[in-house]
Amino acid sequence: MRSRPSFTTGFVVKLLFLAGVNAIAVWSLPTMIEQSWVPGIVAVTLMTLLIDYVYLRKRTIPLKYLVPGTIFALIFQVVPVIYTGYISFTNYSTGNRLTKDQAIENAERKFSNVPGSQRYELVILGQGDGSGELALYLVDEAGRPFLGTAEGGLQELAPTDIVTDDGGKVASVDGYVALSIRQLGDRQGELASLEVQTEEGAIRAVTLSKAAVYTRIYSYDEASNTLRNNETGEVYTVEEGRFVDAQGVALSDVPGWQVYVGFGNYTKVLTSQAIRGPFLRVFVWNYAFALLSVLSTFALGLGLAVALNHQTMKGRRIYRSLLIIPYALPSFMSALIFRGLLNQDFGVINQILGFNVNWLNDPWLAKASVLLLNLWLGFPYMFLISLGALQAIPNELKEAALMDGATARQAFRRVTFPLLMVTVAPLLISSFAFNFNNFNTIFLLNSGGPPIQGAATPAGHTDILISFTFRLAFEGGRGADYGLASAIAIMIFIMVATISALSFRRTRVLEELS
Amino acid sequence: MRGRKTTIIGVLLAFVLLIAGCGDDEAETTTTVAPETTTTAAETTTTAAEETTTTTMLIVREDADLVIWADDTRTPIFEAFAQQYAADNGITVAVQEIPAIEEIDDRVGERAPLGEGPDIFISANDVLGGLVADGLVEPLDLTSVADDFAQGAIDAFTFGGLAYALPYATESVALIRNTDLVPEAPATFEELEEIALGLVASGEAEIPLAVQAGSGAPYHYFPLYSAFGGYVFGTNADGSFNFADIGFASEAGLAAADAFAAWGASGLLDWDITYDIMLEKFGDGSAPFAITGPWALPSFEGVNFVVEPIPPVQGGEARPFIGVQGIMVSAFSEAKLFATDFILSFLATEEAQQAFFDADPRGPSHLAVLARVQETDPNLGGFAASAANGVPIPSVAEMGAVWTPWQDAYQIIVTGAGDAREAFQNAAEQIVTAIAAG
Repeated sequence: MRSRPSFTTGFVVKLLFLAGVNAIAVWSLPTMIEQSWVPGIVAVTLMTLLIDYVYLRKRTIPLKYLVPGTIFALIFQVVPVIYTGYISFTNYSTGNRLTKDQAIENAERKFSNVPGSQRYELVILGQGDGSGELALYLVDEAGRPFLGTAEGGLQELAPTDIVTDDGGKVASVDGYVALSIRQLGDRQGELASLEVQTEEGAIRAVTLSKAAVYTRIYSYDEASNTLRNNETGEVYTVEEGRFVDAQGVALSDVPGWQVYVGFGNYTKVLTSQAIRGPFLRVFVWNYAFALLSVLSTFALGLGLAVALNHQTMKGRRIYRSLLIIPYALPSFMSALIFRGLLNQDFGVINQILGFNVNWLNDPWLAKASVLLLNLWLGFPYMFLISLGALQAIPNELKEAALMDGATARQAFRRVTFPLLMVTVAPLLISSFAFNFNNFNTIFLLNSGGPPIQGAATPAGHTDILISFTFRLAFEGGRGADYGLASAIAIMIFIMVATISALSFRRTRVLEELS
Repeated sequence: MRGRKTTIIGVLLAFVLLIAGCGDDEAETTTTVAPETTTTAAETTTTAAEETTTTTMLIVREDADLVIWADDTRTPIFEAFAQQYAADNGITVAVQEIPAIEEIDDRVGERAPLGEGPDIFISANDVLGGLVADGLVEPLDLTSVADDFAQGAIDAFTFGGLAYALPYATESVALIRNTDLVPEAPATFEELEEIALGLVASGEAEIPLAVQAGSGAPYHYFPLYSAFGGYVFGTNADGSFNFADIGFASEAGLAAADAFAAWGASGLLDWDITYDIMLEKFGDGSAPFAITGPWALPSFEGVNFVVEPIPPVQGGEARPFIGVQGIMVSAFSEAKLFATDFILSFLATEEAQQAFFDADPRGPSHLAVLARVQETDPNLGGFAASAANGVPIPSVAEMGAVWTPWQDAYQIIVTGAGDAREAFQNAAEQIVTAIAAG
């Protein structure tokens, strides 16, 4: 058996591709190892080995096609869904981002300056060659020199203890030498926790050359799992990842941490009166919005496709190109342009037409405006797929129908349209799913407005679930609530998945036609 | 066959090493280039959409002893002082440009806990509560420099008794008057309303008052609201906020609601005015008055105007919100001593504060710079006079629950879509519910 020449172009391309994949792995692994992120290390290693194996073997032809798609599906679809699911079981939100250890460490780093206390000139020292125990050379406001250490406290120095260099700077004191800037840089963490206890409080370095007296505000007691305010004596207990006072009010100047809250976020969505209030209304409009968007864009797109597919029509190519324009423009730009066009007092539409229509602030007109924008954005897509599907249907079928005495309309309704739906129906379903979560159109045109009066929680007449969720999770409470947002996102995911699955099942009936 | 396999593996390995080796260099260049390319993208979205929903980009901490994150305007200033500090101390300092100042806190929140954040960053007082609650910002003892700075600016950055940032700019809205249309300053807001509506009726002006609505309404309408004694949160005896007492539902808040409904009906306030329309109408001389901040002045070059405090509304003093920008130390910094040292000994100086003002003329927080500016720049003097009796935007994280209900209520009131008092009462209920649900 002769093997093919080793270095064909295809082989070189393959080699380069594999080298690229491996390089990405080699480049990312050290960072992951550094952060000891085990799932990441395992996943990257396995995937890289799998890709190498599959592409270096001759026999694994089906896998060569399946592996890239599967890996991308995993990375961009499955992992985000799993991660969102995970977040939805936590209290991850503003004020609950850290780990408990980080939060406690942060709380214990809050020091208040003792009013009216001494401020010192400072030189930072280290024992021996500077790598030993840290010490502070301090000169108080009266000019008296001191040596401060964590263990020995503050001791006044005799002038003979101090050795200065040629420039008059302190070089060493009693076995300690002034730290070089490199040593300082490396030991900043230790310096931050170095406290010299005095009667006034603890002396700490403020800058490289100044020190002042502080008291620690909060102390954590591990045995009782409580935080104590040393100034007021008040004790705070732990509740759902935060320190709370006796009334259950969380401390606002101490961070909280992430904890697992079980189905807490889900029960909140289902039981909170604030959320349930506008929920049904938003859901109904969401469904109507997605359905009407699909129907209107499909109707217009199909109509244009039928017209432009007609053999006798002139200038078809030019029309076809022009119709793609709304599709070619970035949709967020179109949305913002429409927002300007529809402005009641200053918008071009009212000015040119001489109307005074309240496009964006009237509940019903705002809904119409959103649908209008979505029609503009969506019909070229429907036009394209309808045109493609129409051209795939053999003309003989239609001609045969006409020969049999059917009118043109009957031929379209009974022959062309059913055949068209076989191809187009799944795309209509995916379009429905897309529009169900079409945040851009809703948010950029009118931010979900106008507001619903008297709603228990802020909601607008054109809000759909995803934009309502956005308000709820990112513009309510104390900042952003990712846990709650994830819970709602998972619920929307289940809803859309159910609707899509049911619809797909129904389209199988259509397929039996062909 | 064996030989060929070894060749393949050898070649592969060589490629891997080659590409991985290049990778590092490339990463270096991209970190410096990437922020610039994204700036334009982020800026277009900022100007286009008032509320920014900008794409998250990956920012990697540069490799230096001290790393600073600032916006495009302030990066050159930090750069200059950072180089000096680096040279004085023999350490390395890097300044990284982050697209928009209002997003720096988000980027810090994402990157800092992973050890990829800066040591020093800039942000504003209205997000301080969130930064403290998230444990992202380190207290900064300003005692040694406090006398040089406006007390109000330091207070705006004080949370739970501790200061967290060195202020460098204070800003608020003020009244901007077109002196060709209105030569004399109105003594009261009622007089202003009469003049403005008169000019529109006679066709000399197109809109009576250029003040942006939409998401900007709660901030820009605030002086008119505060004039009635309106507030956001009530205060407890110990000075902390009482989140059950929302100012909209108070006697003063409801009186303001009636006034806003009347202004909306008379056409003085118009919900259709966006930021762009406000700039355009006052900028081309078709509005006699505007209520906006110093950032809008470059668009007004074509008209003659003065900046002055908003006159009293029904006898009450119109107090604008004041926003303060400041320099903070990250709680995740491993170089806190360097960071604090740099801020207190290099950036708290008059020279540095003057440089911040020169780069972006907003009200200085440094008293000596402020005094000089008030003498030489009447426009900023006007803004400073307006800010002098301002109210700091509450910095608590709970403020996040206020903006949307407040905006919604204003929309209902100004467009006349519903009862004004009910709208404010409902907003207060929405806020209480949201905070309680926390």
